[in-house]
Amino acid sequence: MSDYKYIGRSVPIHDAQGKVTGSLRYAGDMVLPGMLHLALLTCDIPHGIVKSIRTERALALDGVVDVLHCFNTTKERFNRYRNIHGQKLINQEEIFPERVRFVGDRVACVIAETPQAARAALPLIEVEYERLPYATDAKTVIESGVLDDMFEDGAVYPAPELINGEQPDLTGTTITQTQAHFDRQSHVTMEPQACIADYDPLTGQATVYSPNQSVNGLRTVLADLFDLPYHKMRVVKTTMGGSFGSKQEWMAEPVALAAALHTGRPVKIVFTREQAMLSTITRAAFDGKMTTHVTPEGKVLSVDIETVIDAGAYLSNSLDYCIVVSSKIFRCYTFPYVRYNGKAVCTNSPVSGAFRSWGTAELYLLVEHHFNELARKLGMDATDFRLKNIVKLGDVDKKTGVSLGDVRIGDCIKQGREKFGWFAKRQAAEAFNAQNGRFLRGVGIGCGGHGNTYFPRREDFGAAQMRVSEDGTVLVNISLHDHGCGTVTAFQMMIAETLTIPIDQVAVGEADSSVTPFDLGCFASRTTYVLGRIAVDCAEKLKDLLVATIAKADGSEPEAVKIQGGQILAGDKHYSFADAAQYALHTLQQELTVMHQFVADSNPGVTGAHFAHVEVDTKTGMVAVLDYLAMHDIGKVINREITVAQIQGAVAMGTGCALTERMTPNKNGRFTSSLKDYHLRNCPEAPDVEVEFVEADSIGGPFGAKSIGELSLVPVAPAIMGAVNDALDASLSYLPLTPDRILKHLANGGESR
Amino acid sequence: MLTIQLTINGAAHRCEVSPNTTLLELIRDDMHLTGTKRGCDQGHCGACTVLLDGMPVNACLMLAVMADGKQVETIEAAAPGTKKHALQQALIEEGAVQCGFCIPGIVLSATALLEERPQASRPEIREALSGNLCRCTGYSRIIAAVEKAQERGRTNG
Repeated sequence: MSDYKYIGRSVPIHDAQGKVTGSLRYAGDMVLPGMLHLALLTCDIPHGIVKSIRTERALALDGVVDVLHCFNTTKERFNRYRNIHGQKLINQEEIFPERVRFVGDRVACVIAETPQAARAALPLIEVEYERLPYATDAKTVIESGVLDDMFEDGAVYPAPELINGEQPDLTGTTITQTQAHFDRQSHVTMEPQACIADYDPLTGQATVYSPNQSVNGLRTVLADLFDLPYHKMRVVKTTMGGSFGSKQEWMAEPVALAAALHTGRPVKIVFTREQAMLSTITRAAFDGKMTTHVTPEGKVLSVDIETVIDAGAYLSNSLDYCIVVSSKIFRCYTFPYVRYNGKAVCTNSPVSGAFRSWGTAELYLLVEHHFNELARKLGMDATDFRLKNIVKLGDVDKKTGVSLGDVRIGDCIKQGREKFGWFAKRQAAEAFNAQNGRFLRGVGIGCGGHGNTYFPRREDFGAAQMRVSEDGTVLVNISLHDHGCGTVTAFQMMIAETLTIPIDQVAVGEADSSVTPFDLGCFASRTTYVLGRIAVDCAEKLKDLLVATIAKADGSEPEAVKIQGGQILAGDKHYSFADAAQYALHTLQQELTVMHQFVADSNPGVTGAHFAHVEVDTKTGMVAVLDYLAMHDIGKVINREITVAQIQGAVAMGTGCALTERMTPNKNGRFTSSLKDYHLRNCPEAPDVEVEFVEADSIGGPFGAKSIGELSLVPVAPAIMGAVNDALDASLSYLPLTPDRILKHLANGGESR
Repeated sequence: MLTIQLTINGAAHRCEVSPNTTLLELIRDDMHLTGTKRGCDQGHCGACTVLLDGMPVNACLMLAVMADGKQVETIEAAAPGTKKHALQQALIEEGAVQCGFCIPGIVLSATALLEERPQASRPEIREALSGNLCRCTGYSRIIAAVEKAQERGRTNG
């Protein structure tokens, strides 16, 4: 297929050995000399004012150092989502607010010599609240106005209306309206949020060690909160036990740093699972309404979308989220006319935030459900219907005007339905359903498109530095934040391929705000596409320097020198990278090093089509996924096995989102906060997932690669939902499709359309 | 405080614990064996799985005193030539490890399975890992790794 030595092959991730032996340390495993421990007290009422806090009994406990709360901690406001200095956001949040706004809001923290003492002191803190009226859903907030005074500017934040294109002649078209819904969902990273903050009062140096996705964003938020100079605020990224977006916002770090500054000692905080579910971020509850005009041939001419994002108790990024949903409309399909309106609504619920795909999964839930309904209405096959409306090679993203390049959703749908046996399975399901009463089968397709960078929506750039050691090995300095999906290894592969040297001769570090070059952070599916491109271009620059150095050493023209097989060839003489480094060191008296900066200037379409075959048990309402195919338009795969595994993981996550995962409030306003009640797929329930790629040389990214991590989640819930609806001949779009919801539908005579 | 005697990874220990200290607290906080992870502290995620007299248990659900007189094996136990070692290598080779936070628990659950039933079928493997949640991989590569370790066990044994 190609003569690459590493690209497209399978290489174990760089820290796998440490992970299987348990020797690798995550933030919660780290110990600094003299370290103190924090335990967090969160509030158990959904809305109210803290009238008083009594800490005497807690302070009297052996080992307790102090208690921080709203009456002795900075009132400076911040936005947990800010990831670059100067970002225009509304700051509503305090480390410990006097007005608490949801069950799980931060009330106080105990600083103690041991984690046991810190935990034991929590129930000894006495908090007196004045209760306020509350609402835990957007509809109530909008209709009742009960939270109009929650913030200075209310609780409802409309996004600017988007109108794209001219309304075409709609004569002869059919109008259709559908709705779709996701309940609030949790990331459930297996590693709960944790960090260590350290402060040296003598030097004024503050350091935070945390599994975060943006050392530079976090650095500026923390420094601004505590009025520290930026050069004395260092953030070091630690091994990350999963993120899916939940570690790109700042909940643990401000608390830990407040305690470190207060005590002048290192302080560790580790969230409990309950806190990880309630007191970090979640995916917003989502409601969407879609109205279209479609021709009898199945071409959608006009689209009107309205969304409501339940922001939870602080707006944080929910308004941006709501706007970004509209940025993904033209990444998979194209329509002559689109109108988009949305609003973010604050409620007394856990705070919404970044979740893998950033609104795209929600958008395509709405669109794909609508398309299923249209296909059914017009008597068309669901895959054929999509082919009438997809973007094609060379189309532009109509919102941004930027080329979608070699977007290949058509290939994904056509090759996917062939490999999956779509038509045969559809027929077999119909025959099966005619035979069998209790179990019903169906097939579903889900499509979606995403981006690879912020370009052109906002600034997107980065830098890398490379140094050749005396022995010819290469040190790479770049602000990576590996989530656990093998980023470091993918970069080693790309750099080794470019330099034509073995992978183990390339060391790639991770982000450290005082050491590695500036970068925005590892999110927005930009890591491989933007930073990978920067790494490869930087390696090319390093090759030029190696060539120039050996040309000098050899006394030949640079044009006559080349790099091949890890050697520098000058005529018939072979030099090693070590020769070049040593010549530079001893003769030129300089280090062999290059720095490369780059501004992103492309963002091709990256798409996928998923196919699901399910069986619904009409007695229990349980859904079993019988077959599943994920087909991805990825440009070029870098590390094959791990990419397949990442997509398989996305399908397991998306299956949970489609069928079982939901955070709902109880009668006291407390949302689901335990894995007993929040059901993600376990090993016996996880579907077997086949993964296939449409590979073609895309432009802009390294080796033609495009993004995958977020996109892979997007088509899952739509595909499963479509298959369940096909099985039941239903139009269920209120997700997750729990057994209760399916049984309720069946008990109502199966009427839903 | 109570005094208990137990063996951890082959070494005998005498420990002072309070009656409400969990086995997980003893292992992580007192013995500093941090390969055993605290994922939920409620017995739902399996990240704290250790072997107690060879049986996989959630260390967060056991009191330390319940381990009195017993053999505890954590992920840190040396493993050359064992089924556990074969599993660890297979997990690396099969691309089954991503964020890795669930992996120590999975290694120990699968080790217990292969010790008891070396020929376990795929549904039995899935069942044996039903208490170990993983959010990254979708489990497919993990199952493939257990099967690879089984295969190696057959050719070596």
